[in-house]
Amino acid sequence: MFEALFGVSRDLLARGELVLMSDWPAALLLLLLLTSALALGLVLARQRGALAPLQLLVIGALQLGMLGVVLILLWQPGLRTQQLRSGDNVVAVMLDSSASMSFGVADSTRMARAQPLLTEQLTPALSAEHRVQRYLFAEQARPVEDFATLPAPGEQTRIGESLLQVLRQARTTPLAAVILVSDGADNALTGLADRFAEIADFGVPIHAIGMGREEIPEDLELLDVNLPDRALPGTTLAARVAVRHDGGGAARIKVYDGDRILAAQVLPLAAGSNTTTAYVDFPVPEAGHHDLVFTLDRQPGEVNQRNNTRSRALEVPEDRYRLLYLEGEPRWEYKFLRRALEEDPSVELVSVLRVSPNKFYRQGIQDPAELAAGFPADRAELFGYDGLIIGSIEAARFSPEQQAMLRDFVGERGGSLLMLAGLNGLGAGGWGNSALDEVLPARLSADAGDYRRQQVRASLTPLGRASSLLKLSEDAQENERLWRELPAVADYQTIGPLRPAAVSLLDVERGGRRVPLLVTQPYGRGHSYILASGGTWRWQMSMPLEDLSHETFWRQLARGLVANSPDQFRLSAEVRGEQVALVAELRDQDYRAMSDVAVTAVVTSGDSEALTVVLQPTDRPGVLAGEFAPGDAGVLFIEALARRGESTVASARLSLRYDAPTEDFGVRQNRALLTALATETGGAYWTAENLDGLLTAIRHSAAGVTEEDIRPLWSAPVFFLLLLCLKAAEWLARRRWRTI
Amino acid sequence: MWKRPVLVLAGAVSSLLAAGFLSSVAGQSTESAARRGPEAEFHFVRLAYSANGRHRMGQSWRTDWPEAEHHFLRGVKRLTRIDAAQEGRYLAVMDADLFDYPWLYAVEVGGWYLDEEEAARLREYLLRGGFLMVDDFHGTHEWEGFLLTLQRVFPNRPIIDIPESDEALHVLYDLEKRVQIPSPFVYLRGGRTFERDGITPHWRGVYDDKGRLMVAINFNMDMGDAWEHADWPEYPEFFTALAYRFGINYIIYAMTH
Repeated sequence: MFEALFGVSRDLLARGELVLMSDWPAALLLLLLLTSALALGLVLARQRGALAPLQLLVIGALQLGMLGVVLILLWQPGLRTQQLRSGDNVVAVMLDSSASMSFGVADSTRMARAQPLLTEQLTPALSAEHRVQRYLFAEQARPVEDFATLPAPGEQTRIGESLLQVLRQARTTPLAAVILVSDGADNALTGLADRFAEIADFGVPIHAIGMGREEIPEDLELLDVNLPDRALPGTTLAARVAVRHDGGGAARIKVYDGDRILAAQVLPLAAGSNTTTAYVDFPVPEAGHHDLVFTLDRQPGEVNQRNNTRSRALEVPEDRYRLLYLEGEPRWEYKFLRRALEEDPSVELVSVLRVSPNKFYRQGIQDPAELAAGFPADRAELFGYDGLIIGSIEAARFSPEQQAMLRDFVGERGGSLLMLAGLNGLGAGGWGNSALDEVLPARLSADAGDYRRQQVRASLTPLGRASSLLKLSEDAQENERLWRELPAVADYQTIGPLRPAAVSLLDVERGGRRVPLLVTQPYGRGHSYILASGGTWRWQMSMPLEDLSHETFWRQLARGLVANSPDQFRLSAEVRGEQVALVAELRDQDYRAMSDVAVTAVVTSGDSEALTVVLQPTDRPGVLAGEFAPGDAGVLFIEALARRGESTVASARLSLRYDAPTEDFGVRQNRALLTALATETGGAYWTAENLDGLLTAIRHSAAGVTEEDIRPLWSAPVFFLLLLCLKAAEWLARRRWRTI
Repeated sequence: MWKRPVLVLAGAVSSLLAAGFLSSVAGQSTESAARRGPEAEFHFVRLAYSANGRHRMGQSWRTDWPEAEHHFLRGVKRLTRIDAAQEGRYLAVMDADLFDYPWLYAVEVGGWYLDEEEAARLREYLLRGGFLMVDDFHGTHEWEGFLLTLQRVFPNRPIIDIPESDEALHVLYDLEKRVQIPSPFVYLRGGRTFERDGITPHWRGVYDDKGRLMVAINFNMDMGDAWEHADWPEYPEFFTALAYRFGINYIIYAMTH
């Protein structure tokens, strides 16, 4: 329509420059327009009696418009554009030959659609005006004579690398445009979007023709699975999974450890969204290395099931973490907490109980000297524990130096602290005025009366429902029920307002409103918790012997306290593109940065030869970093040694799942990516069903060898229609005002 | 010469009067005593049981009440950091609030009786983590009476002598010296420390599957009397002190294991 009215396409009009083709001077046109306006004004002034001033103005504008159009047409307006010189330019046609182009059944694959499109339609038309160079690409591009014969599908799609390869090769040729025929399922480790600027620098427009369906309702894809690289045995771990889907409903996901199912959970899929993110809880298996498999059940009609599965490595350490519990008075919470953790394979509870004013009773100690004075002798001894519980004991019992050590235990060592309520606990114990105050997730009240032996029922908060610390059952509904049916705790202590970063996981009803019972916040490298009760022992005494809610609660909470406490030698790895980045952080017994050590990591994977990586110091004291290319996909075992001189100071190990890109994932056409690529380079996105205008767009490409082309516009129907409209409008106006 | 028998007689009369007074208290529902709920961390709770016919009195569970608790709890508060209630309480096994009090004390258990339902409930209480201290029974006849009911509670669990190394004997005080703690009514009659044929004292126990003491059995001893009569000048302080120490050790053990 646009082209029928204006004689040129909208795109061409936007690219071109309007010019006057007549040899007559443009100034004369301007003079005549002004003169015409003056003359019209004089003529209309004489009709003042017949028409109102506004009516005269309208008539004058319409007549001037008509006269102006006629005058402009006399000067012959035209459109000046640059267009490719026929026969002198090269157009590269790149056909995606990766495996995802074979997605579909029988003859309806993307390749089956693309091949005739190119061989029968596009390349013959392009060849009439330009030289056409054909390429196939998957991992990389390679020139071909024609698209009739295709190689085996490629195992990866690297659009960015392939485009750059073609553009670099064409530096010495007049490359006018690139036509990219692809589904956009780029799975290069360096994302295509990161290469846009580099590609656009060549100044060659990329025209992308998108292949394949943008939505595949029958297909589910497990986009990602995110979980920590290590966890304690017997704990519950929450893996964050992301599922791509094109419809609502539900999908069941299973977690396997070898042939053993660890968990099966139904994920509701939101109808209005293409991606659902959810947490899948599963019990951490026994100590050792585990290659976990997460898999979505097949949907009815689903063809590609390979994108339903992902693997992740999980290291379950054999070490026992040491949790120190300082208690100021014999009480039932102490007893039952100890009993709950007694047989925990991961947590060793070491406790100091002040039984009489001058005597401490120790349990769980490793040697008679441990905690002989009722408190760790120095910073190194305190920091040797992984977590800390402080019960009903007054802050004044600890010297300012000891309080500072407790604060640094959380902030610098990265341990977690749990404070319990009690007669001498929390605010009543003066902790609100101690060095530990800033560590705690709430501002403590100093009112001793805030501690009441009054039974209250704990309830999960929304965050508590999602917390793996509070899973009495893997099933969410069952977990809710179990928490609802738990007996009341024996006591409660009011805490002050929560700090900004604090969250409440459990609350209770007091005076008609919900108040926090279990709160936590991050502090420095660690976390702090407050449990505003010393009476969870009622869960054990009031429930049948077979019920393990009390044990489960304390085991999970205790493991949560110790599981994330950093070791002195902390090794972490992250996949970054085609590299794996290693970071080693070393601290001494006091958890002060160690800067005089060298770290070497040895990476092994399957049958591959071991790889040695020497980590280099960074700007941060005690932090060393290095990178390596993993090569084959699989589980990487990384063992690092820290040395000072010839002696080994510390060692650390971890495992990491490295997945090479696979064509089974990202099978939907990525139209957004292709559109962005085309837009960034000055090209356009096209569908295989509608390529009208592609040849014209290429003809007027900004790259290549071009020549000037001036197209007359004066003969465009739009001008004559405009004249007609102006005259008709004047006639209608005069009829309405009854002047004719 | 007359002084000691007179004192003994006066003590016995006063005990009987106290028992008579208290029988009216005990006549109330045992629930009413506990319905207030725990008001301190530790309540010394006496087990109110039925008699098995072997004992001379029908309410022998009340022996030494309330002076034994009154005296002993002051010692507990003075010598430890335990937030203990000032006075004792008593509960029947079937009391709804039983599980809110993880410490039980039963006296004169040679004549105690628990039916199957009560025995099952006490078993559940102990296995969940409750603790029972039994005291003041003597000789073969009362041991057999005690066993009749205890074996209903734990049919297959052995009763063993508490070993020297057990934490119950060291948790606060090191109680290596095994001295028979007599009732003053016996001891002040001629220095005898045993009753009936219970010549040898035994500190016995029933343990759970994880080796934790659940039932502390003071056989051929009367710690309750030693607590109750702590204010008798004639009764040697040594016995009272030892009874306090055993009692405190048991309580701290019960609150730590």
